[in-house]
Amino acid sequence: MKKKQKRKSRKAEVRIPFPNVLAMVLVCVAASGLSYVWLCARCDTLGDEIRRLESVRRTVRQQSIAEQDRWSNMLAPANFERALRHHRLAMTLPDERQVVRVRRGSGEQGLKLAYNK
Amino acid sequence: MNYKGRTILASVLIAAVFAGLGVRLAFLHLRPSASTLARIEKGRHMEEETRGPRGRILDRGGNILAVDIAARHLCADPKFILENGDIQQVCEAVTKVVPLSRSEVWKLLDQPERQYVRINKYMREKTLEPLMAMKLKGVIFEETSMRNYPKGALGAHVIGFSNREGVGSAGAEQRMNSYLQGTTGLRVSQKDGRRHEIYSRRTVDIEPQSGADVYLTIDQQVQHFAERALDELVEQYHPQGAWAIVQNVRTGEILAMASLPTYNPNCYGAAPAEWMRNRTMSYGYEPGSVMKAMIVASALDAGAVTPRDVFDCENGRWMYGGRALHDSHGEGLLSVADIIKKSSNIGAAKIALQMGNEKVYQSLRSFGFGSRTGMDLPGEEAGILWPVSNWSKISITRLAMGHEINVTALQMLSALSAIANDGIRMRPYMVQKVVDPGGETIFETLPSELNRPIRADTAKTMRRLLARVTQPGGTGTKAAVRGYPVAGKTGTAQKVRPKEEGGGYYDHKYVASFAGFLPVENPAISIIVVADDPQGAHYGGTVCGPAFQRIADQTVRYLRISPQGFPTEYVSEIEE
Repeated sequence: MKKKQKRKSRKAEVRIPFPNVLAMVLVCVAASGLSYVWLCARCDTLGDEIRRLESVRRTVRQQSIAEQDRWSNMLAPANFERALRHHRLAMTLPDERQVVRVRRGSGEQGLKLAYNK
Repeated sequence: MNYKGRTILASVLIAAVFAGLGVRLAFLHLRPSASTLARIEKGRHMEEETRGPRGRILDRGGNILAVDIAARHLCADPKFILENGDIQQVCEAVTKVVPLSRSEVWKLLDQPERQYVRINKYMREKTLEPLMAMKLKGVIFEETSMRNYPKGALGAHVIGFSNREGVGSAGAEQRMNSYLQGTTGLRVSQKDGRRHEIYSRRTVDIEPQSGADVYLTIDQQVQHFAERALDELVEQYHPQGAWAIVQNVRTGEILAMASLPTYNPNCYGAAPAEWMRNRTMSYGYEPGSVMKAMIVASALDAGAVTPRDVFDCENGRWMYGGRALHDSHGEGLLSVADIIKKSSNIGAAKIALQMGNEKVYQSLRSFGFGSRTGMDLPGEEAGILWPVSNWSKISITRLAMGHEINVTALQMLSALSAIANDGIRMRPYMVQKVVDPGGETIFETLPSELNRPIRADTAKTMRRLLARVTQPGGTGTKAAVRGYPVAGKTGTAQKVRPKEEGGGYYDHKYVASFAGFLPVENPAISIIVVADDPQGAHYGGTVCGPAFQRIADQTVRYLRISPQGFPTEYVSEIEE
C-alpha cells in the first residue's frame, strides 16, 4: 500500500511546466481571434446599416420625385384652371389698359411711385 | 451489453459522426472540388445592373414636363400560393388593384408548376399601396421605373415620349435621347443564406447616373393658350387637323407648338399613329395668300415695285397663259399696299411677273422655302419648291398666291418672323439648354441667324403694309388684338387632290391659315394658326383669325409685352 502511495505522489510531483511564452501566444491568438470575430460582426452590422441607409436614400429620392411629379401635375395650366373653377374663382390676366408700367431708368419718378405705394 | 460497453459504443459512434463531419469540412475548406466551388460561388454571387433614371424635360420656367418615377411590376409565385391555399385571398386582393377580371387573375395564379408570373406591369406605387399593406405571401412587387408626363397631353408633340425600354421615340425625347439617358450602374457582391447582400463582400459598386435635364424654350402657359385656342377652333369648325406655333421673333425660340389631333404620352400606345404626327413641321400644304407677304417683300426689296405703285386687278378675273386667275372680291386699280390688304391674287401675280421667274425663285429660297429650317426636333419636312426649269408659264402667277409650292407652318412662320425681325431669319429652336445632374450646363442653344432675305428698311415697310390687313377693310380683322397693333396675313388655299383621286384641287376643301406678329413697330412674337379642311367656313381670316387673336391676346399679357415690345427684364432674361 505504502509503495503504491509513494509512486502516486511521485507521479503527482512530476509536472510539465506550461511555457509562459506559449501561453501568451495562445492568449494573443485567442484575443486576435475574438477581435477578428468582433470586427467582422461590427463590419457586418455597419454594412447592414449602410444598406439600410442606401435603401432609405433611394426611397426618399423616389418620394421626392413622386412629389415633384404630383406638384407639376397640379400646376398644369388645365388642372389649375379646373381648380379655380372648382373654387369659383375667376382670374383673368390684366387688360392692357389696367397695366401701369414703371420703366427701368425712369429714376426719380420710379422711386416716387415706389414710396407712394 | 453492459453499461460500459454501451457508453463506449455511443462514444465511438459520436466520434465517428464528428470525424466524418470534420473530414467533410476539411475537404470543403482545404480541397474543395471545382464543381463544388462553382456551385457555392454561383449561389453567393450577386451582380446587379441598375439603369440610371432618364433626365427630366422642363419648360423654360422650370416646370417639369417629363420625369422618371418609381413603379412596380406586380408578380406572384403561383406554386407557393397554391401550396399555402391562399389563391382565393390573393386573387380577390389583386383584382381590386389591377385592370384584370377575377377569372383572368385566377388563371394566372392557377399554375402549380410555375414559381413566377407577372400579373401587371408598370404600376404606380400609390395604386399598389393597399395590396402592399396586406403583406400577402407569394405576391412580389418588383421595383422598376416608368416615364411620366405630369401635364398629360400638353405639348405632347414637342415632348414626344420614350418607350418602355427608356429610349426616346418622338419629339424632344428622341432628339435629346443621348443627353436624357442615364448611365447604367453595376454592383458586384455576394449574398448570404437569406439572399441579402453581404455589404463587406461588395467588390464593385458603380452608382448609376441619372441623365441630364433638358430645358425647352416652350412656356407651358403659352402652350396652353395655343392648345386651348385650337380646341375652340376645332369645336367650331371641325377641321381634320389644326396646328399653331408661337415664336419669339428676335431669337427664333419656339414658345409654343401645338398640333391637333393630339395624344397623351402617358398612354401613347392607345393613340393612332396619325395623331402623333407633329403637323406644325411635318405637314406640307399650299399656303395660299400668306405667300403674298413674301412676294411683295421681295419685290419691294428688289426695287421692282413701291407700296404706292398701282396695278389693275381686272375686276377679279384675268386671263394669263391661257388660264383664268380669279380674285374672291373683284377689284379694279389697287396699290401694292392694298393688294396686300385686300389679298388680291391678280395683283400679287402681276407683282411677281414684274420680278421674273428667277428672282421669285431666289427670293422664295432665301425665305427658306424648299429646305428645312434646322429645327432641333425630329420629323421636319423641307416642303417643295420646284426649280424654275420645272415651272410652266403660269407657275409664277400661282406661286404669288401660294399655290404650286408646298410649305410647313414652321417654314412659313420663320419667313414671316424674318419680316418682323428687320429682315433677318433666325433659326427656330426648341432646346434651350441641357443641365447635368450636378447642375452644370453642358449644352446651350444660342440664337443664330440663318440669312437675311430682305433689307431692314424693306422689312419695316412690310410690317406697316401687313398691319393694314388687321385694320378695318382688311381680310384679317378678326385677328386684331385690342390695344396692340397686329401685322399679319390671311391664307386660304384649296387642298391638293392626290393623284390617285385624279389630281388637281378639291372644289370644297381648303387649308385656312393666319400668320402674324405683334406689336407691329417692335415685334416680339409671331404666331401662325393653320386649319386643315375646316367645315362651315374656309377663309383664313374667319377660321384662324380668332384663334390667332386669342393666343396673341393672352400671350402678350402673360409675357408682359407692352404695345411697344417686350419688357426690358424679359429681353435681358432671354439674353442671359
